[in-house]
Amino acid sequence: MSDASGPLLEVRGLVKDYPGVRALGGVDLTVTSGQVHCLIGQNGAGKSTLIKCVSGLVEPTAGEVRFEGDLLPVGDPNASIARGIATIYQELDLVPHLSVANNVFLGHEHKRGPLLNRAAMHRETKALFARLGDEGISPTAEVSTLRPAQQQVVSMARALSHSAKLLILDEPSAVLDDVEVEALFGVVRRLTAEGVGVIWISHRLGEVGQLGDVVTVLKEGRTVATELPPDTPVDTLIRHMVGGRMEALFPDRGPSRDTTVLEVRGLTRTPDVVDASFTLREGEILGLAGLVGSGRTELLRLIYGLDPVQSGEVEVGGRRLPPGRPDLAIRAGLGLAPEERKSEGLWLDWSMVRNTSIADLSRFRRGPFTDLASERRDAARHLRSLNTQPDAPERAARLFSGGNQQKAVLARWLLRSCRVLLLDEPTRGVDVGARSEIYRVIADLAANGIGIVMVSSELAELLGFCHRVLVMREGHIVDELDGATSTEEDVLQSAVPVHHTTKAG
Amino acid sequence: MAVDTDTTAVDARGRLRQVPVQELVLPIVIIALIIVGVIIRPGVFLTSDNLLNVLTQASITGIIAIGMTFVIATGGIDLSVGSALAAASIAGGLLMPYGSWMFMIGALAMALLIGAINGAAIVWGKVVPFIATLAMLTIARGLALWMAERTPISLIELDILQWFGSGRVLGIPVPALIFVIVAVVGWVVLNRTTFGRRAVAVGGNRSAARIAGIRPGRVIFAVYVLTGLCVGISAILLSGRLASASPVVGNLVELDAIAAVVIGGTALTGGKATVTGTFFGVITFGLIFNLLNLLNMPTEIQGVVKGLLILVAVALQRRD
Repeated sequence: MSDASGPLLEVRGLVKDYPGVRALGGVDLTVTSGQVHCLIGQNGAGKSTLIKCVSGLVEPTAGEVRFEGDLLPVGDPNASIARGIATIYQELDLVPHLSVANNVFLGHEHKRGPLLNRAAMHRETKALFARLGDEGISPTAEVSTLRPAQQQVVSMARALSHSAKLLILDEPSAVLDDVEVEALFGVVRRLTAEGVGVIWISHRLGEVGQLGDVVTVLKEGRTVATELPPDTPVDTLIRHMVGGRMEALFPDRGPSRDTTVLEVRGLTRTPDVVDASFTLREGEILGLAGLVGSGRTELLRLIYGLDPVQSGEVEVGGRRLPPGRPDLAIRAGLGLAPEERKSEGLWLDWSMVRNTSIADLSRFRRGPFTDLASERRDAARHLRSLNTQPDAPERAARLFSGGNQQKAVLARWLLRSCRVLLLDEPTRGVDVGARSEIYRVIADLAANGIGIVMVSSELAELLGFCHRVLVMREGHIVDELDGATSTEEDVLQSAVPVHHTTKAG
Repeated sequence: MAVDTDTTAVDARGRLRQVPVQELVLPIVIIALIIVGVIIRPGVFLTSDNLLNVLTQASITGIIAIGMTFVIATGGIDLSVGSALAAASIAGGLLMPYGSWMFMIGALAMALLIGAINGAAIVWGKVVPFIATLAMLTIARGLALWMAERTPISLIELDILQWFGSGRVLGIPVPALIFVIVAVVGWVVLNRTTFGRRAVAVGGNRSAARIAGIRPGRVIFAVYVLTGLCVGISAILLSGRLASASPVVGNLVELDAIAAVVIGGTALTGGKATVTGTFFGVITFGLIFNLLNLLNMPTEIQGVVKGLLILVAVALQRRD
């Protein structure tokens, strides 16, 4: 703990109005040196606006931000950086084809005369990684070759190169698996031990207790609870976030039926997926667990025909799918909700109706023409049945929250009456309130006889309502667990490669 | 042509904000041009003869621009259309001894073949559209010059063909009529058929299109063939009007067509397309050409004016 007299960051009565919308309606926040301050709240609660005000990207309408006791000039990102406020956004702002060292010193390169001083930058980059406890990254490596977790470390090194006193991390764990998150915790703890203050924004409430010193909850642009201790029960946190009673997060498991709807035999595409076999019954929710890179996403893509298969086969309802043909897989009854929802799942400028109808346009064909009225009616009906909010099916998908965008993808497959849904991280970027709703939608689909295969990096949700969980490791399906009776430790024990020394759980 | 549900974009409310700048630029420019025309050449400019003349002049490029709208909707580009226009004219011209209908079949076949080769090179050869059609630009021009042995072919004896180029139906020049028909059909195909929706889907997000069961390769191949069809129609109208097939026609038509598509509001990156906009874009260039002619301005000035208009119109439309 720092012995500095006042707090590091003090936000008082912060207000930010956008035309027609009050994004922040009086937020207070105090962060002290050497502290991990967790900031939680649903999507749209104002977390991003708050940190943009602090980092100078956005000019607040009213209120003040003090840093080390001095008033921070508003709307001046360079002033914030110069005083030692570093922000790492969710979408990492690294230049993929530059080296690690060049990224770290981007914008404040060391020079010798007019030329770059590469040696000095490499040396200092190495030193920064040593400080972060991650010396495995070479300063000369191209950033695009690094794993997401390593890229995050590069971003943090860049922040440190500005001698940051306050580090703001916006959903740093969203793209990491549990082992990598654990490593990131280690890095953050080193920094706080040096006296750096950290604001940690996350949707994963479990992290709050593991890492945080204090918790602040935002709801609808206001601070609804602050200075909560880290051992506040998750239920209490959720109650603050949603502002009321919280229904059970996970729905009950319905019965699965006896009929096999999907059979995968020996599916292989080395090195991503090796000899994967499993069956899925009607109404069953099958979880796919494993570390990032263990082949889960690749397995879904192979089943769906998006990538060429080396060997093995897929049967839907007893009929074999020709490989490499997503269009025929869809015709046989498969549907896929991809992990990268925005870049692979949706047309963000299109209306929700169009996003819903795109996989089944022929249904609306009348002679040579598309019947727009029945397209709109049918798509809107399915969107409504999933309780998509707001109920504005003609509005562009980009104006909806992550959870509601996901519903458009699900509605697409409902419209097609699919028999098997492949879901890749269906709750990624979806806030807590909307999550339980997505879970309920998935459970309802299963109750109607649809077979579900669901990839997730969050063990809690896999164990929360999947019937069975398959665990993948380095391309192989290595274990099958019962969803109701297994623990997170069971999954991690199978998921973590044996030569890892990382502590599991 | 109705003001449309034409663009792929946005909802009723979101549109209201965007309409003023984005979609009204061209209609305003066109009205302004007409007012200028009425003021500087009263009694000459605003006559049905002159306005039909504008439409006729614009028809050759205009028909090609409608096809180009689909190519650009998928995120592609077709630089070969000008050369393909010449090659199609010559291919038809070589069949001249067998009559007007054989000329048309020859011209259409050549244009469709060129479109199919473009599409195949892009889809199965995996050559980027800019390069594939740039190569075709020089191939088709060379082919035209070679087949014609560098001399135009007279089509003076083909009466039916000449009717397509300079005939009239109820007082309306045939090329103008066909341009309007192609534009209307293009609008319907883009906005009211699954093919049109899929073309925009592929341009907007190719991986999402694949996951939704669309086969992007087929759609992309089809839009280049469609553009070939438009080029073939233009070749028939142009040859009929000139009463000859020349291997040097169509120079820079590709740039005029692309310019009309772009000032119309279709995104060069793909995923957003409007046939109405393209139609207005073609008319805008036609009016400018007509006005400057009426004022006896040298052709050099026309290039400058056209270029400035492209810059201003696109800059206005891209403002958020």
